[in-house]
Amino acid sequence: MKEKIAVLMGGRSLEREVSLRSGERVCAALTAAGFHVLALDVVPDLVETLRRERPDAVYVALHGRFGEDGTVQELLEFLGIPYTGPGVVASALAWDKSLSKRLFMQHDVPTPPWVTFTADAFKEMGAATALDLVPGAVGGFPVAVKPAEQGSGLGMSRVEDAESLPEALLTALSFGDAALVERWVDGVEIAVSVLDGPEGVFVLPPVEMVAKSGIFDFSAMYTRGETEYFVPARLEPAVMAEVERLAAQVHALLGCRDVSRVDMVVGADGTPFVLECNTSPGMTDTSLLPMAAEAAGIGFQDLAVRLVRAALDRVK
Amino acid sequence: MGTARIVFDRWDGRYAARMRDVRSSAVRDLFAAASMPDMISLSGGMPEVSRVPADVVARVVRDAIRHEGASALQYGSSDGRPELRAIIAELMAEIGVRISPGDLIVTAGAQQGLDLLAKIFIDPGDTIVTEGPTYVGALQAFSAYQPNMVCVPMDDDGMRVELLEAELARLGPRGAKFIYTIPNFQNPAGVTLCAERRRRLLELAREYDIPVIEDDPYGRLRFEGGHMKPLRALDDEVIYLGTFSKIFAPGLRLGWMTAPKPILAKVLLAKQAADLCGSNFAQVAAERYFRGTRWRSVLRDLTETYARRRDAMLESLAEHFPPEAHWTRPEGGFFVWVTLPEFLDTGALLPEAVEHGVTFVPGTGFFPDGRGRNQMRLAFCYAEPDAIREGIRRLGEVLEGRLDLYRAFAAAGALPIAKGA
Repeated sequence: MKEKIAVLMGGRSLEREVSLRSGERVCAALTAAGFHVLALDVVPDLVETLRRERPDAVYVALHGRFGEDGTVQELLEFLGIPYTGPGVVASALAWDKSLSKRLFMQHDVPTPPWVTFTADAFKEMGAATALDLVPGAVGGFPVAVKPAEQGSGLGMSRVEDAESLPEALLTALSFGDAALVERWVDGVEIAVSVLDGPEGVFVLPPVEMVAKSGIFDFSAMYTRGETEYFVPARLEPAVMAEVERLAAQVHALLGCRDVSRVDMVVGADGTPFVLECNTSPGMTDTSLLPMAAEAAGIGFQDLAVRLVRAALDRVK
Repeated sequence: MGTARIVFDRWDGRYAARMRDVRSSAVRDLFAAASMPDMISLSGGMPEVSRVPADVVARVVRDAIRHEGASALQYGSSDGRPELRAIIAELMAEIGVRISPGDLIVTAGAQQGLDLLAKIFIDPGDTIVTEGPTYVGALQAFSAYQPNMVCVPMDDDGMRVELLEAELARLGPRGAKFIYTIPNFQNPAGVTLCAERRRRLLELAREYDIPVIEDDPYGRLRFEGGHMKPLRALDDEVIYLGTFSKIFAPGLRLGWMTAPKPILAKVLLAKQAADLCGSNFAQVAAERYFRGTRWRSVLRDLTETYARRRDAMLESLAEHFPPEAHWTRPEGGFFVWVTLPEFLDTGALLPEAVEHGVTFVPGTGFFPDGRGRNQMRLAFCYAEPDAIREGIRRLGEVLEGRLDLYRAFAAAGALPIAKGA
């Protein structure tokens, strides 16, 4: 009998459209691979539908809040349905950039210096009076200002001076309750995808992104022609080895399984810095994980099937 | 391991320079496409076509095909079917404009009229004058021809003609290729150009010898107050754009243009290049629809529907929006225009609103020059009154939270525009 796979996509997230694009591709691939596929939007009757349909596994093609922060994962554990990708704790840790950066620090994973502000710290505690301390804390301008929780580069900006900092913080805080101010590292932006399974951890070729606008944000990511990609990234062999080692370390450190994508920037002197880890990497036609897999000889369908198999194997 | 170098748009660098400024923002597209469950959209200016009775449309289409037969399926004349032009002439007479069917052409929505007028008038670098804010589709149509756009601010009585006069004085006689205005229930501002200013605008246009384009999609959707004569009724050199989108259905893509004969001849040449002729199929259907009388009661019902929705929006704005916010009170049309304290960026407000299940359109898109940062357009045309009330409540909540945050920044002196906070 064909196994029934529910692909979760959409939901009420700012990355809904991206998720629908990921989900549609995954559905097509899994159908072609012979699974019985059920495409499900995350709506109020989701649980009812899952209980009625009793899928053998769920493919989590959700991005953003609820899909990537551990919420859906926790629900699926409770319902006893195996699902693709990292579990509850890994998802929650990776989703909170501030928390995961603290972990990186504790384990000597290089990450740019940063400070985190919550909206409440401004509203209730007068944190805005301490913005003059920010440059000292992160090592001067320019800085990246971004929401502490969100994917796809949403709400991110590059700030050159103290005067523009409040505006950028307000923008980032419109995407969530906390914002990060992080030293801007000029260099090569790369995404390193990690797959793991019974045969161990396997780091895919790093993908290098060159945005025409100079900043790899939401519109660069999802607008064709706005970004050039190089696979594998154009790095020295020693640097290449180091970024691969770091990706595997971060994957293990956060407790990820099946898949993750670690975003880094390699400074001009060849020092890599880890920025964040994504536990539900995009699967659209401009997404980085499928691109990296392709370069390693793993086609899109194989990639999707591999992730589903890993979930199915968890019940056996 | 393979090496794949992927460059997506391999034709980039080969497009004409005129397309450079006509770019749609990916972010805006994704938000606009936000099809989230129980999302309340106050962003789209879509007519409530569900109130147009499907059985009536089915009948007119069937009759039209039966009686007009082959000609509905054939190419037509590029100025439109004479039968439809006769009906349009009657519609125009009802609003005080006396023209003959030969004085107008049928276009693919008023939008095509905008594109064709831009095509025949604008060389790169030419100056044109619009209201600020103005219709996004007009900005898009005009910007492809690379004009220098000058926007004249508005208040509750429409375009501020004294500021228009100052601009025209600066530009000199024939200093602009045209003045574009939406006098009735303007998109996005919702305001109506008052009678006094209509006269003054036309005087100025005559004095400086600049053509006026009057775009009037909403004129028949008046909820209260008396009918205002179109500019075209006061001056027969005005170029007037009309549309069936709001009085029948936008799906037909039917509009019209009336203009002085020489201009109309140029537009017709441009139209032949664009599409040879409009859709005969749509035209025969519209003819049948407007030959009957049912459309009048449908339009009355539609107008009442929009009026109830406007009332719901104005009531809930008063209830849920902070005292720092101001908004227009449209007497018709589709839109309310909201102005927030200067330090608030409505673009930065949108993501939070979307997560709270409500959308609007941030103000900057309605200006060619980055203004409108603290403004937003709210459409009341498409959501039911209860949804509008809930949407405004959600938006008010988001606004309140943002204002708290801004006040905290301002209190700490971290924002230079502390005044008014």
